[in-house]
Amino acid sequence: MEQKIAIKVDDLTVAYNYKPVLWDIDLMVPEGVLMAIVGPNGAGKSTLIKAILGIIKPIAGSVTIYDKPYNKQRKLVAYVPQKGSVDWDFPTTAVDVVMMGTYGKLGWIKRPGQKEKKAALEALEKVGMLAFKNRQISQLSGGQQQRVFLARALVQNAAIYFMDEPFQGVDATTEIAIINILKELRKAGKTVVVVHHDLQTVPEYFDWVTFLNVKKIATGPVKEIFNDDNLTKTYGINYKVAVNK
Amino acid sequence: MNSPQIEIQLIAVVVAIACAIPGVFLVLRKMALISDAISHSILPGIVIGFFITQDLNSPLLILLAAITGVITVVLVEWIQKTGLVKEDTAIGLVFPALFSIGVILIAKNANDVHLDVDAVLLGELAFAPFDRLLLFGNDVGPKSLWVMGTILISTIVLLLLFFKELKVSTFDSGLSAALGISPVIMHYGLMSVSSVTVVGAFDAVGAILVVALMIAPAATAYLLTSDLKKMLWLAITFGSIAALGGYWVAHWLDASISGSISTVLGVIFLFVYLFAPRKGLISVLYRQKQQRTEVSLITFLLHLNNHSEERERHINHLQEHINWQKIRSKTVLDLALKNNMVTVTNNVVSLTKKGDEFTNLALEYIITNKDEKIEHMKDDFFLFRG
Ligand SMILES: Nc1ncnc2c1ncn2[C@@H]1O[C@H](COP(=O)(O)OP(=O)(O)OP(=O)(O)O)[C@@H](O)[C@H]1O
Ligand SMILES: [Mg+2]
Repeated sequence: MEQKIAIKVDDLTVAYNYKPVLWDIDLMVPEGVLMAIVGPNGAGKSTLIKAILGIIKPIAGSVTIYDKPYNKQRKLVAYVPQKGSVDWDFPTTAVDVVMMGTYGKLGWIKRPGQKEKKAALEALEKVGMLAFKNRQISQLSGGQQQRVFLARALVQNAAIYFMDEPFQGVDATTEIAIINILKELRKAGKTVVVVHHDLQTVPEYFDWVTFLNVKKIATGPVKEIFNDDNLTKTYGINYKVAVNK
Repeated sequence: MNSPQIEIQLIAVVVAIACAIPGVFLVLRKMALISDAISHSILPGIVIGFFITQDLNSPLLILLAAITGVITVVLVEWIQKTGLVKEDTAIGLVFPALFSIGVILIAKNANDVHLDVDAVLLGELAFAPFDRLLLFGNDVGPKSLWVMGTILISTIVLLLLFFKELKVSTFDSGLSAALGISPVIMHYGLMSVSSVTVVGAFDAVGAILVVALMIAPAATAYLLTSDLKKMLWLAITFGSIAALGGYWVAHWLDASISGSISTVLGVIFLFVYLFAPRKGLISVLYRQKQQRTEVSLITFLLHLNNHSEERERHINHLQEHINWQKIRSKTVLDLALKNNMVTVTNNVVSLTKKGDEFTNLALEYIITNKDEKIEHMKDDFFLFRG
């Protein structure tokens, strides 16, 4: 059976203040993979996700989600932004943040009700944060905040998940908890795209990988392309990781 | 109270509430400065509107001035986008430019226009009741009450309709955009409401008080709550209290009403800043002191936990050994006794069962930094919070 393409990016170029930070990116992500995007700081990883999600307008190129433009497919997509991109002193609670994940399906004006609240509590339970549901978000530790973000993506109940550094600043237990949830998503046939910095764990966690540094260096199955050659091309230094065991 | 007095207070409260609502979102978006910019840069809009309509309360004038307010925001963002200057610099460039255009327009036409810069900036609430709205020849009340009442009702309706959208786009604009709730639309919506409010209110209370009424109640409320809805209610309450309180202060002191309201706003903020239960200065200092005591307590309990021999647990020895001053060791010992964590027999201190459990939990928390197990201890001990 021919595998479906979940995300297709064609000739995407994105610029801030007329200075391109992503050049001519082509990318095809098959349905049902758990894909890492790796690259150095400032490589444009976050920008790539934002451009796919229409948060930033590209100056050239196109993106399709299951063969249609993103704005027709919003409900199929969930997004976890980089943790530092929001103000954690905002006056709101954990469960309230998770409920924001339901706003997309609700659409404009309609308010969340009991059904949305229940979904949010279930998602919090899944990430082991139910005990903290009414905690003000600034009173959560970094790892707990990350879990709340993950719960918010889960509540979107999407087909494709984009996560910008979900492992940033979390301890080993939380990291394992998160990766297990991501693997469960993959098992359920979802496509998961994760910006990831820890190269050591790429082969263990992911089955698909994209190397990015302003341009796309390579994309494909981890088994075939996760090698020193691509790492060196991406990071610009002679990179050695113990991957070929 | 006579009827102008009641009308003045009513106008003041309506203005305060109409300002407090957008103010909450401006404060949360860290855009307090932009309200100041809008309040000044709408001047050319007001002047041009006044030339056309000859009426400071005309809807057309309000619209023109509000458009100038939105243009301010657009210009600021446009300058910022060039990447050459930061946002505060961009604001500093735009609003004096627009403001001075307004001043020049007034100066050039000063002879035949009844409008001066002082009136725009300071306003005078005391005169508001004299400008009446006539409907079919009947006096239906002060004009500014009708203008601000309309703006307030529109603001409330918009808030009720778009509360969820305002919340998510303020907290996380990236997610908001991805969900299809355009943060750009919400941003300009908020800017338009703020501009209209500023314009509507400047005639009654002056531009400076408008800024104070937008920012101070929201900033005060922010110190008291971690719930957006409560923050809105608190801001509205503080704004209204300041409006009424300021009116009576002015009445007794025979001072300017706008000035008195600003002063009351400042006093309320200062009071809350000092005494707020969690974020207040005094509470923060108290908590730090409390935390020090609790660290001492745990050190003390750990010592008891580690040593079974009586010699090590003798009160005198504890003082020498842990090397605390008398007062500190007494505080800590009292705290431990009060919480039934230790018992003292013949001047030898022993851990109780509760003390033992507590020490183990605390130890585990210190090592693993896991929160779940000590949830119930957080109410009693500052150390384990946040
Ligand atoms: N809002 C912005 N305005 C201007 N330049 C930006 C903006 N956001 C990002 N950039 C620039 O675009 C480039 C790519 O940024 P991006 O955030 O996508 O990198 P990244 O790969 O996610 O990095 P990191 O690993 O640090 O998260 C960087 O050079 C950054 O400085
Ligand atoms: Mg990034």
